[in-house]
Amino acid sequence: MNGAALRSSAVRLAGPLTVLATWELLARFGLINTLLLPPPSKAFADLMVLVSSGYLWKALYASLFRVVCGFAFAVTVGVILGMAMARIRPINDFFDPLVELLRPISALALFPLAILWFGIGDGSKIFVIAFAASFPVILNTFAGARSIDTNLIRASRSLGATEFEIFRGVVLPASLPYIFTGVRLACGVSLIVIIAAEMIGATVGMGYMVLEAQQTFRTERVFAGIFVIGLIGFATDLGFRRLRRWLLPWYRETES
Amino acid sequence: MSGRLGEDFVRFDRVALTFPGGSGRSPVEVIRKLNLGVRAGEFVAVVGPSGCGKSTLLSLLAGYLTPSAGRVLFRGKSISGPGRERMMVFQHPALFPWLTTEENVAYGLKLKANRNGGRNIKETVNAMLQLVQLDGFARHYPSDLSGGMRQRLEIARALAVDPEVLLMDEPLAALDALTRRTMQREVLHIWEKTRKTILFVTHDIDEAVIMADRIVVMAQRPTFVLEIEEVRLGRPRLREDPEVGKIARRLSSLLE
Repeated sequence: MNGAALRSSAVRLAGPLTVLATWELLARFGLINTLLLPPPSKAFADLMVLVSSGYLWKALYASLFRVVCGFAFAVTVGVILGMAMARIRPINDFFDPLVELLRPISALALFPLAILWFGIGDGSKIFVIAFAASFPVILNTFAGARSIDTNLIRASRSLGATEFEIFRGVVLPASLPYIFTGVRLACGVSLIVIIAAEMIGATVGMGYMVLEAQQTFRTERVFAGIFVIGLIGFATDLGFRRLRRWLLPWYRETES
Repeated sequence: MSGRLGEDFVRFDRVALTFPGGSGRSPVEVIRKLNLGVRAGEFVAVVGPSGCGKSTLLSLLAGYLTPSAGRVLFRGKSISGPGRERMMVFQHPALFPWLTTEENVAYGLKLKANRNGGRNIKETVNAMLQLVQLDGFARHYPSDLSGGMRQRLEIARALAVDPEVLLMDEPLAALDALTRRTMQREVLHIWEKTRKTILFVTHDIDEAVIMADRIVVMAQRPTFVLEIEEVRLGRPRLREDPEVGKIARRLSSLLE
Protein backbone atom coordinates (compact mmCIF):
# COMPACT_ATOMS: atom_id res chain seq x y z
CA MET A 1 0.00 0.00 0.00
CA ASN A 2 1.37 3.40 -0.87
CA GLY A 3 1.49 6.36 1.50
CA ALA A 4 -1.80 7.91 0.49
CA ALA A 5 -3.72 4.64 0.78
CA LEU A 6 -2.11 3.94 4.13
CA ARG A 7 -3.11 7.36 5.42
CA SER A 8 -6.63 6.91 4.12
CA SER A 9 -6.98 3.54 5.84
CA ALA A 10 -5.68 4.98 9.08
CA VAL A 11 -8.21 7.80 9.04
CA ARG A 12 -10.98 5.37 8.19
CA LEU A 13 -10.16 3.27 11.22
CA ALA A 14 -9.93 6.30 13.44
CA GLY A 15 -13.69 6.85 13.52
CA PRO A 16 -14.81 3.55 14.96
CA LEU A 17 -11.75 3.35 17.19
CA THR A 18 -12.46 6.76 18.66
CA VAL A 19 -16.03 5.81 19.39
CA LEU A 20 -14.98 2.57 21.05
CA ALA A 21 -12.26 4.20 23.08
CA THR A 22 -14.52 7.00 24.29
CA TRP A 23 -17.23 4.53 25.17
CA GLU A 24 -14.78 2.37 27.10
CA LEU A 25 -13.40 5.29 29.04
CA LEU A 26 -16.83 6.70 29.88
CA ALA A 27 -17.82 3.31 31.24
CA ARG A 28 -14.60 2.85 33.22
CA PHE A 29 -14.97 6.22 34.86
CA GLY A 30 -18.57 5.46 35.80
CA LEU A 31 -19.93 8.28 33.70
CA ILE A 32 -22.54 6.10 32.04
CA ASN A 33 -24.95 3.53 33.37
CA THR A 34 -23.12 0.27 32.71
CA LEU A 35 -26.31 -1.69 33.05
CA LEU A 36 -27.65 0.05 29.97
CA LEU A 37 -24.33 0.57 28.24
CA PRO A 38 -21.58 -1.81 29.29
CA PRO A 39 -18.04 -1.09 28.12
CA PRO A 40 -16.99 -2.77 24.85
CA SER A 41 -14.38 -4.77 26.73
CA LYS A 42 -17.10 -6.55 28.68
CA ALA A 43 -19.08 -7.23 25.54
CA PHE A 44 -15.98 -8.60 23.87
CA ALA A 45 -15.22 -10.79 26.87
CA ASP A 46 -18.74 -12.21 26.75
CA LEU A 47 -18.30 -12.84 23.06
CA MET A 48 -15.24 -14.98 23.89
CA VAL A 49 -17.30 -16.92 26.42
CA LEU A 50 -20.00 -17.49 23.83
CA VAL A 51 -17.44 -18.71 21.34
CA SER A 52 -15.57 -21.03 23.66
CA SER A 53 -18.68 -22.51 25.24
CA GLY A 54 -20.07 -23.31 21.82
CA TYR A 55 -23.31 -21.45 22.55
CA LEU A 56 -22.70 -18.93 19.82
CA TRP A 57 -22.29 -21.60 17.16
CA LYS A 58 -25.49 -23.31 18.21
CA ALA A 59 -27.43 -20.06 17.99
CA LEU A 60 -25.79 -19.11 14.71
CA TYR A 61 -26.45 -22.47 13.15
CA ALA A 62 -30.11 -22.40 14.17
CA SER A 63 -30.68 -18.96 12.67
CA LEU A 64 -28.68 -19.52 9.51
CA PHE A 65 -30.32 -22.85 8.85
CA ARG A 66 -33.73 -21.19 8.86
CA VAL A 67 -32.51 -18.30 6.70
CA VAL A 68 -30.94 -20.58 4.12
CA CYS A 69 -34.07 -22.72 3.82
CA GLY A 70 -36.43 -19.77 3.51
CA PHE A 71 -34.09 -17.89 1.20
CA ALA A 72 -33.54 -20.88 -1.09
CA PHE A 73 -37.28 -21.36 -1.41
CA ALA A 74 -37.82 -17.67 -2.13
CA VAL A 75 -35.13 -17.52 -4.81
CA THR A 76 -36.25 -20.70 -6.58
CA VAL A 77 -39.95 -19.93 -6.57
CA GLY A 78 -39.38 -16.23 -7.14
CA VAL A 79 -37.24 -16.57 -10.25
CA ILE A 80 -39.46 -19.22 -11.81
CA LEU A 81 -42.66 -17.35 -11.06
CA GLY A 82 -41.23 -13.97 -12.04
CA MET A 83 -40.00 -15.35 -15.37
CA ALA A 84 -43.22 -17.18 -16.08
CA MET A 85 -45.29 -14.12 -15.32
CA ALA A 86 -43.13 -11.97 -17.56
CA ARG A 87 -43.23 -14.33 -20.53
CA ILE A 88 -46.65 -15.99 -20.42
CA ARG A 89 -49.66 -13.72 -20.42
CA PRO A 90 -52.24 -16.02 -18.75
CA ILE A 91 -49.82 -16.78 -15.92
CA ASN A 92 -49.37 -13.09 -15.30
CA ASP A 93 -53.12 -12.53 -15.39
CA PHE A 94 -53.62 -15.26 -12.83
CA PHE A 95 -50.83 -14.54 -10.38
CA ASP A 96 -50.53 -10.78 -10.51
CA PRO A 97 -53.63 -10.07 -8.37
CA LEU A 98 -52.43 -12.60 -5.79
CA VAL A 99 -48.98 -11.06 -5.68
CA GLU A 100 -50.35 -7.55 -5.36
CA LEU A 101 -52.72 -8.57 -2.56
CA LEU A 102 -50.16 -10.49 -0.54
CA ARG A 103 -47.19 -8.22 -1.01
CA PRO A 104 -48.29 -5.44 1.37
CA ILE A 105 -48.76 -7.92 4.20
CA SER A 106 -45.90 -7.63 6.66
CA ALA A 107 -44.34 -11.07 7.04
CA LEU A 108 -44.17 -10.71 10.79
CA ALA A 109 -47.91 -10.13 10.94
CA LEU A 110 -48.18 -13.66 9.64
CA PHE A 111 -45.84 -15.06 12.27
CA PRO A 112 -48.48 -15.91 14.91
CA LEU A 113 -50.41 -17.73 12.20
CA ALA A 114 -47.26 -19.57 11.21
CA ILE A 115 -46.72 -20.65 14.80
CA LEU A 116 -50.28 -22.02 14.91
CA TRP A 117 -49.64 -23.94 11.73
CA PHE A 118 -46.02 -25.03 12.20
CA GLY A 119 -45.25 -24.71 15.87
CA ILE A 120 -42.46 -22.79 17.51
CA GLY A 121 -39.60 -24.58 15.77
CA ASP A 122 -37.92 -24.06 12.42
CA GLY A 123 -41.06 -24.36 10.30
CA SER A 124 -42.72 -21.15 11.32
CA LYS A 125 -39.52 -19.15 10.83
CA ILE A 126 -38.81 -20.64 7.41
CA PHE A 127 -42.37 -19.88 6.40
CA VAL A 128 -42.24 -16.17 7.16
CA ILE A 129 -38.75 -15.79 5.70
CA ALA A 130 -39.82 -17.51 2.50
CA PHE A 131 -42.91 -15.31 2.35
CA ALA A 132 -41.06 -12.06 2.87
CA ALA A 133 -38.10 -12.86 0.64
CA SER A 134 -40.13 -14.09 -2.32
CA PHE A 135 -41.52 -10.74 -3.32
CA PRO A 136 -38.30 -8.88 -4.11
CA VAL A 137 -37.22 -11.84 -6.25
CA ILE A 138 -40.52 -12.11 -8.11
CA LEU A 139 -40.78 -8.40 -8.79
CA ASN A 140 -37.18 -7.89 -9.86
CA THR A 141 -37.11 -10.99 -12.06
CA PHE A 142 -40.30 -9.83 -13.71
CA ALA A 143 -38.89 -6.35 -14.28
CA GLY A 144 -35.72 -7.79 -15.73
CA ALA A 145 -37.44 -10.10 -18.16
CA ARG A 146 -39.73 -7.31 -19.28
CA SER A 147 -37.03 -4.74 -19.82
CA ILE A 148 -35.12 -6.58 -22.51
CA ASP A 149 -34.42 -4.51 -25.62
CA THR A 150 -36.71 -5.79 -28.40
CA ASN A 151 -33.91 -5.42 -30.91
CA LEU A 152 -31.81 -7.94 -28.99
CA ILE A 153 -34.54 -10.50 -29.49
CA ARG A 154 -34.96 -9.46 -33.12
CA ALA A 155 -31.24 -9.72 -33.76
CA SER A 156 -31.04 -13.21 -32.32
CA ARG A 157 -34.11 -14.28 -34.32
CA SER A 158 -32.49 -13.04 -37.51
CA LEU A 159 -29.27 -14.85 -36.64
CA GLY A 160 -31.33 -18.03 -36.47
CA ALA A 161 -31.93 -18.69 -32.78
CA THR A 162 -34.76 -20.99 -31.71
CA GLU A 163 -37.19 -19.91 -29.00
CA PHE A 164 -35.26 -21.96 -26.46
CA GLU A 165 -31.95 -20.50 -27.59
CA ILE A 166 -33.44 -17.05 -27.23
CA PHE A 167 -34.60 -17.81 -23.70
CA ARG A 168 -31.33 -19.32 -22.60
CA GLY A 169 -28.99 -17.07 -24.55
CA VAL A 170 -30.74 -13.71 -24.39
CA VAL A 171 -33.58 -13.54 -21.88
CA LEU A 172 -31.72 -15.14 -18.99
CA PRO A 173 -28.44 -13.25 -19.28
CA ALA A 174 -30.25 -9.98 -19.90
CA SER A 175 -32.40 -10.51 -16.80
CA LEU A 176 -29.54 -11.60 -14.60
CA PRO A 177 -28.61 -8.15 -13.23
CA TYR A 178 -32.20 -7.63 -12.14
CA ILE A 179 -32.50 -11.12 -10.70
CA PHE A 180 -29.30 -10.51 -8.81
CA THR A 181 -30.69 -7.32 -7.29
CA GLY A 182 -33.82 -9.20 -6.24
CA VAL A 183 -31.77 -11.96 -4.65
CA ARG A 184 -29.63 -9.48 -2.76
CA LEU A 185 -32.72 -7.72 -1.41
CA ALA A 186 -34.22 -11.09 -0.49
CA CYS A 187 -31.13 -11.91 1.56
CA GLY A 188 -31.34 -8.62 3.44
CA VAL A 189 -35.01 -9.18 4.15
CA SER A 190 -34.34 -12.73 5.34
CA LEU A 191 -31.77 -11.59 7.87
CA ILE A 192 -34.07 -8.96 9.30
CA VAL A 193 -37.05 -11.27 9.51
CA ILE A 194 -35.20 -14.13 11.23
CA ILE A 195 -33.97 -11.96 14.07
CA ALA A 196 -37.39 -10.46 14.63
CA ALA A 197 -39.16 -13.80 14.46
CA GLU A 198 -36.74 -15.37 16.93
CA MET A 199 -37.47 -12.57 19.35
CA ILE A 200 -41.19 -13.20 19.17
CA GLY A 201 -41.36 -16.94 19.34
CA ALA A 202 -38.32 -19.19 19.50
CA THR A 203 -36.26 -21.30 21.84
CA VAL A 204 -32.97 -21.06 20.05
CA GLY A 205 -31.22 -18.75 17.61
CA MET A 206 -29.40 -15.41 17.47
CA GLY A 207 -32.56 -13.38 17.96
CA TYR A 208 -33.57 -15.54 20.87
CA MET A 209 -30.11 -15.20 22.39
CA VAL A 210 -30.30 -11.41 22.28
CA LEU A 211 -33.83 -11.39 23.72
CA GLU A 212 -32.90 -13.75 26.53
CA ALA A 213 -29.88 -11.62 27.35
CA GLN A 214 -32.10 -8.55 27.57
CA GLN A 215 -34.60 -10.31 29.79
CA THR A 216 -31.86 -11.43 32.17
CA PHE A 217 -30.18 -8.02 32.13
CA ARG A 218 -26.98 -9.36 30.57
CA THR A 219 -26.57 -6.28 28.46
CA GLU A 220 -23.02 -7.17 27.45
CA ARG A 221 -24.45 -10.25 25.76
CA VAL A 222 -27.01 -8.08 23.99
CA PHE A 223 -24.15 -6.10 22.50
CA ALA A 224 -22.16 -9.20 21.67
CA GLY A 225 -25.19 -10.54 19.83
CA ILE A 226 -25.76 -7.28 17.98
CA PHE A 227 -22.13 -7.26 16.95
CA VAL A 228 -22.29 -10.79 15.50
CA ILE A 229 -25.55 -10.03 13.68
CA GLY A 230 -23.98 -6.93 12.20
CA LEU A 231 -20.96 -8.95 11.16
CA ILE A 232 -23.17 -11.42 9.31
CA GLY A 233 -24.85 -8.58 7.44
CA PHE A 234 -21.48 -7.09 6.55
CA ALA A 235 -20.13 -10.44 5.39
CA THR A 236 -23.12 -11.22 3.18
CA ASP A 237 -22.92 -7.76 1.66
CA LEU A 238 -19.26 -8.30 0.85
CA GLY A 239 -20.07 -11.72 -0.52
CA PHE A 240 -22.69 -10.30 -2.84
CA ARG A 241 -20.36 -7.62 -4.13
CA ARG A 242 -17.73 -10.24 -4.95
CA LEU A 243 -20.34 -12.45 -6.56
CA ARG A 244 -21.56 -9.58 -8.65
CA ARG A 245 -18.08 -8.85 -9.98
CA TRP A 246 -17.71 -12.50 -10.93
CA LEU A 247 -21.20 -13.03 -12.40
CA LEU A 248 -21.72 -9.69 -14.05
CA PRO A 249 -18.35 -8.34 -15.10
CA TRP A 250 -19.95 -6.66 -18.07
CA TYR A 251 -22.69 -4.79 -16.32
CA ARG A 252 -22.57 -1.03 -16.02
CA GLU A 253 -25.38 0.54 -14.02
CA THR A 254 -25.69 3.49 -16.36
CA GLU A 255 -25.49 3.00 -20.10
CA SER A 256 -23.19 5.49 -21.81
CA MET B 1 -38.76 2.46 -61.90
CA SER B 2 -38.07 -1.11 -60.72
CA GLY B 3 -36.06 -3.78 -62.50
CA ARG B 4 -37.58 -6.51 -64.61
CA LEU B 5 -39.48 -8.81 -62.27
CA GLY B 6 -37.33 -11.86 -62.86
CA GLU B 7 -34.07 -10.12 -62.05
CA ASP B 8 -34.95 -8.73 -58.69
CA PHE B 9 -33.11 -10.15 -55.71
CA VAL B 10 -35.36 -8.29 -53.35
CA ARG B 11 -38.76 -7.04 -54.29
CA PHE B 12 -41.46 -5.07 -52.58
CA ASP B 13 -44.58 -5.90 -54.59
CA ARG B 14 -47.49 -3.51 -53.98
CA VAL B 15 -46.68 -3.47 -50.28
CA ALA B 16 -48.85 -1.51 -47.91
CA LEU B 17 -48.67 -1.33 -44.14
CA THR B 18 -51.11 0.05 -41.63
CA PHE B 19 -50.49 -0.30 -37.93
CA PRO B 20 -53.78 -1.29 -36.28
CA GLY B 21 -55.12 1.06 -33.65
CA GLY B 22 -54.70 0.10 -30.05
CA SER B 23 -56.58 1.16 -26.94
CA GLY B 24 -58.02 4.47 -28.03
CA ARG B 25 -55.43 4.97 -30.75
CA SER B 26 -56.52 5.20 -34.35
CA PRO B 27 -54.80 3.04 -36.98
CA VAL B 28 -51.71 4.54 -38.63
CA GLU B 29 -51.15 4.10 -42.35
CA VAL B 30 -47.40 4.01 -42.70
CA ILE B 31 -46.89 2.69 -46.20
CA ARG B 32 -49.46 3.45 -48.82
CA LYS B 33 -47.93 1.66 -51.79
CA LEU B 34 -44.42 0.40 -52.19
CA ASN B 35 -43.07 -1.06 -55.39
CA LEU B 36 -39.35 -1.49 -55.34
CA GLY B 37 -36.86 -3.93 -56.75
CA VAL B 38 -33.25 -4.36 -55.69
CA ARG B 39 -30.65 -6.23 -57.72
CA ALA B 40 -28.11 -8.56 -56.19
CA GLY B 41 -24.94 -6.82 -55.08
CA GLU B 42 -26.50 -3.36 -55.31
CA PHE B 43 -25.97 -0.62 -52.78
CA VAL B 44 -29.32 1.09 -52.42
CA ALA B 45 -29.84 4.09 -50.19
CA VAL B 46 -33.29 4.99 -48.91
CA VAL B 47 -33.90 8.62 -47.99
CA GLY B 48 -36.96 10.53 -46.93
CA PRO B 49 -38.34 12.84 -44.26
CA SER B 50 -38.18 11.80 -40.62
CA GLY B 51 -40.84 9.33 -39.62
CA CYS B 52 -41.91 8.58 -43.16
CA GLY B 53 -41.47 4.85 -42.78
CA LYS B 54 -37.94 4.18 -44.04
CA SER B 55 -37.14 1.99 -41.06
CA THR B 56 -40.45 0.22 -41.46
CA LEU B 57 -39.39 -0.71 -44.96
CA LEU B 58 -36.31 -2.40 -43.55
CA SER B 59 -38.28 -4.11 -40.79
CA LEU B 60 -40.57 -5.58 -43.44
CA LEU B 61 -37.65 -7.01 -45.35
CA ALA B 62 -36.04 -8.24 -42.13
CA GLY B 63 -39.23 -10.10 -41.37
CA TYR B 64 -39.99 -8.26 -38.13
CA LEU B 65 -43.24 -6.91 -39.58
CA THR B 66 -45.78 -8.32 -42.01
CA PRO B 67 -47.35 -6.16 -44.71
CA SER B 68 -51.06 -5.40 -44.60
CA ALA B 69 -51.15 -5.86 -48.36
CA GLY B 70 -48.76 -6.98 -51.04
CA ARG B 71 -45.73 -9.21 -50.76
CA VAL B 72 -42.13 -8.84 -49.73
CA LEU B 73 -40.09 -11.15 -51.92
CA PHE B 74 -36.57 -12.41 -51.52
CA ARG B 75 -35.19 -14.42 -54.41
CA GLY B 76 -38.68 -14.55 -55.81
CA LYS B 77 -40.29 -16.06 -52.72
CA SER B 78 -42.37 -14.38 -50.05
CA ILE B 79 -40.45 -14.07 -46.82
CA SER B 80 -41.94 -15.62 -43.72
CA GLY B 81 -40.06 -14.08 -40.84
CA PRO B 82 -36.52 -13.19 -39.83
CA GLY B 83 -33.65 -15.09 -41.33
CA ARG B 84 -29.91 -14.85 -41.57
CA GLU B 85 -30.01 -14.12 -45.30
CA ARG B 86 -31.42 -10.71 -44.42
CA MET B 87 -29.43 -9.37 -41.50
CA MET B 88 -30.26 -6.07 -39.88
CA VAL B 89 -27.76 -3.57 -38.53
CA PHE B 90 -29.61 -1.36 -36.06
CA GLN B 91 -29.16 2.34 -35.50
CA HIS B 92 -28.47 1.78 -31.83
CA PRO B 93 -26.42 -1.41 -31.84
CA ALA B 94 -28.26 -4.36 -30.41
CA LEU B 95 -25.15 -6.09 -29.17
CA PHE B 96 -25.22 -8.64 -26.37
CA PRO B 97 -23.64 -6.75 -23.47
CA TRP B 98 -22.77 -9.89 -21.54
CA LEU B 99 -20.64 -11.24 -24.38
CA THR B 100 -17.22 -10.01 -25.39
CA THR B 101 -16.54 -8.67 -28.86
CA GLU B 102 -15.47 -12.02 -30.25
CA GLU B 103 -18.30 -13.84 -28.45
CA ASN B 104 -20.79 -11.47 -30.03
CA VAL B 105 -19.45 -12.26 -33.47
CA ALA B 106 -19.42 -15.97 -32.71
CA TYR B 107 -22.98 -15.96 -31.32
CA GLY B 108 -24.69 -16.55 -34.66
CA LEU B 109 -22.21 -19.23 -35.65
CA LYS B 110 -22.83 -21.23 -32.49
CA LEU B 111 -26.59 -21.47 -32.97
CA LYS B 112 -28.04 -24.83 -33.85
CA ALA B 113 -29.37 -23.53 -37.14
CA ASN B 114 -25.92 -22.50 -38.33
CA ARG B 115 -23.83 -25.29 -36.88
CA ASN B 116 -23.62 -27.36 -40.03
CA GLY B 117 -22.03 -24.68 -42.14
CA GLY B 118 -18.73 -26.50 -41.98
CA ARG B 119 -17.03 -23.25 -41.20
CA ASN B 120 -14.39 -23.07 -38.53
CA ILE B 121 -15.89 -20.72 -35.98
CA LYS B 122 -12.61 -19.32 -34.72
CA GLU B 123 -11.35 -18.58 -38.22
CA THR B 124 -14.57 -16.88 -39.25
CA VAL B 125 -14.61 -14.76 -36.12
CA ASN B 126 -11.03 -13.65 -36.65
CA ALA B 127 -11.69 -12.88 -40.31
CA MET B 128 -14.71 -10.78 -39.39
CA LEU B 129 -12.87 -8.88 -36.68
CA GLN B 130 -10.05 -8.14 -39.09
CA LEU B 131 -12.49 -6.95 -41.72
CA VAL B 132 -13.96 -4.35 -39.37
CA GLN B 133 -10.62 -3.67 -37.72
CA LEU B 134 -11.58 -4.74 -34.25
CA ASP B 135 -9.11 -7.61 -33.92
CA GLY B 136 -7.30 -5.85 -31.10
CA PHE B 137 -10.47 -5.68 -29.02
CA ALA B 138 -11.61 -9.28 -29.17
CA ARG B 139 -11.82 -9.70 -25.40
CA HIS B 140 -13.42 -6.35 -24.66
CA TYR B 141 -17.04 -5.95 -23.73
CA PRO B 142 -19.29 -3.73 -25.87
CA SER B 143 -19.56 -1.27 -23.00
CA ASP B 144 -15.82 -0.68 -23.36
CA LEU B 145 -16.12 0.24 -27.01
CA SER B 146 -16.85 3.62 -28.58
CA GLY B 147 -19.96 4.27 -30.69
CA GLY B 148 -18.16 3.72 -33.97
CA MET B 149 -16.57 0.51 -32.72
CA ARG B 150 -19.88 -0.84 -31.56
CA GLN B 151 -21.36 -0.15 -34.96
CA ARG B 152 -18.47 -2.02 -36.57
CA LEU B 153 -18.98 -4.92 -34.19
CA GLU B 154 -22.64 -5.07 -35.10
CA ILE B 155 -21.67 -5.23 -38.77
CA ALA B 156 -19.15 -7.99 -38.03
CA ARG B 157 -21.75 -10.02 -36.15
CA ALA B 158 -24.19 -9.66 -39.03
CA LEU B 159 -21.61 -10.60 -41.65
CA ALA B 160 -20.40 -13.63 -39.69
CA VAL B 161 -23.48 -15.62 -40.66
CA ASP B 162 -22.88 -14.80 -44.32
CA PRO B 163 -26.12 -12.98 -45.10
CA GLU B 164 -27.09 -12.10 -48.65
CA VAL B 165 -28.67 -8.77 -47.79
CA LEU B 166 -27.49 -6.25 -45.22
CA LEU B 167 -30.20 -3.96 -43.90
CA MET B 168 -28.69 -0.87 -42.36
CA ASP B 169 -31.03 1.40 -40.45
CA GLU B 170 -29.36 4.80 -40.18
CA PRO B 171 -26.30 3.02 -38.81
CA LEU B 172 -24.14 6.12 -38.76
CA ALA B 173 -26.73 8.56 -37.38
CA ALA B 174 -25.61 8.25 -33.79
CA LEU B 175 -21.97 8.95 -34.57
CA ASP B 176 -20.08 12.22 -34.52
CA ALA B 177 -19.24 13.84 -37.86
CA LEU B 178 -15.64 12.65 -37.99
CA THR B 179 -16.38 9.05 -37.07
CA ARG B 180 -19.22 9.15 -39.52
CA ARG B 181 -16.92 10.03 -42.44
CA THR B 182 -14.57 7.21 -41.48
CA MET B 183 -17.40 4.76 -41.14
CA GLN B 184 -18.82 5.69 -44.54
CA ARG B 185 -15.50 4.71 -46.08
CA GLU B 186 -15.42 1.54 -43.99
CA VAL B 187 -18.91 0.47 -44.99
CA LEU B 188 -18.05 1.00 -48.65
CA HIS B 189 -14.83 -0.93 -48.15
CA ILE B 190 -16.74 -3.83 -46.61
CA TRP B 191 -19.27 -3.69 -49.44
CA GLU B 192 -16.57 -3.75 -52.07
CA LYS B 193 -14.88 -6.71 -50.42
CA THR B 194 -17.98 -8.80 -49.75
CA ARG B 195 -20.32 -7.58 -52.51
CA LYS B 196 -23.40 -8.06 -50.37
CA THR B 197 -26.66 -6.40 -51.33
CA ILE B 198 -27.07 -3.42 -49.06
CA LEU B 199 -30.18 -1.42 -48.23
CA PHE B 200 -29.01 1.67 -46.40
CA VAL B 201 -31.48 4.02 -44.75
CA THR B 202 -30.22 7.50 -44.03
CA HIS B 203 -31.60 10.97 -43.56
CA ASP B 204 -28.35 12.46 -44.81
CA ILE B 205 -28.71 12.98 -48.56
CA ASP B 206 -25.02 13.74 -49.06
CA GLU B 207 -24.24 10.43 -47.43
CA ALA B 208 -26.64 8.66 -49.79
CA VAL B 209 -25.07 10.23 -52.86
CA ILE B 210 -21.55 9.36 -51.69
CA MET B 211 -22.34 5.73 -51.02
CA ALA B 212 -25.14 4.37 -53.17
CA ASP B 213 -25.65 2.94 -56.66
CA ARG B 214 -29.26 3.96 -56.47
CA ILE B 215 -31.15 6.28 -54.17
CA VAL B 216 -34.79 5.68 -53.37
CA VAL B 217 -36.57 8.84 -52.28
CA MET B 218 -39.60 8.17 -50.11
CA ALA B 219 -42.51 10.54 -49.57
CA GLN B 220 -43.89 11.70 -46.25
CA ARG B 221 -46.08 9.27 -44.40
CA PRO B 222 -48.18 7.48 -45.69
CA THR B 223 -45.19 6.76 -47.83
CA PHE B 224 -44.57 5.63 -51.35
CA VAL B 225 -41.63 5.91 -53.71
CA LEU B 226 -41.27 9.49 -54.95
CA GLU B 227 -38.32 8.89 -57.18
CA ILE B 228 -35.40 6.58 -57.79
CA GLU B 229 -32.11 8.10 -58.79
CA GLU B 230 -29.30 6.11 -60.39
CA VAL B 231 -25.96 7.46 -59.29
CA ARG B 232 -23.50 6.80 -62.08
CA LEU B 233 -20.52 8.56 -60.60
CA GLY B 234 -17.35 6.55 -60.03
CA ARG B 235 -16.12 5.81 -56.53
CA PRO B 236 -14.66 7.11 -54.31
CA ARG B 237 -16.91 10.13 -54.40
CA LEU B 238 -16.01 13.29 -52.56
CA ARG B 239 -18.45 15.52 -50.77
CA GLU B 240 -16.78 18.52 -52.40
CA ASP B 241 -17.30 17.17 -55.93
CA PRO B 242 -19.76 19.45 -57.75
CA GLU B 243 -21.46 16.45 -59.34
CA VAL B 244 -22.23 15.07 -55.91
CA GLY B 245 -23.60 18.42 -54.83
CA LYS B 246 -25.80 18.68 -57.91
CA ILE B 247 -27.48 15.37 -57.29
CA ALA B 248 -27.83 16.04 -53.58
CA ARG B 249 -29.48 19.41 -54.18
CA ARG B 250 -31.91 17.99 -56.66
CA LEU B 251 -32.96 15.23 -54.31
CA SER B 252 -33.25 17.65 -51.39
CA SER B 253 -35.61 19.82 -53.37
CA LEU B 254 -37.83 16.81 -53.90
CA LEU B 255 -38.24 16.52 -50.18
CA GLU B 256 -39.35 20.06 -49.58
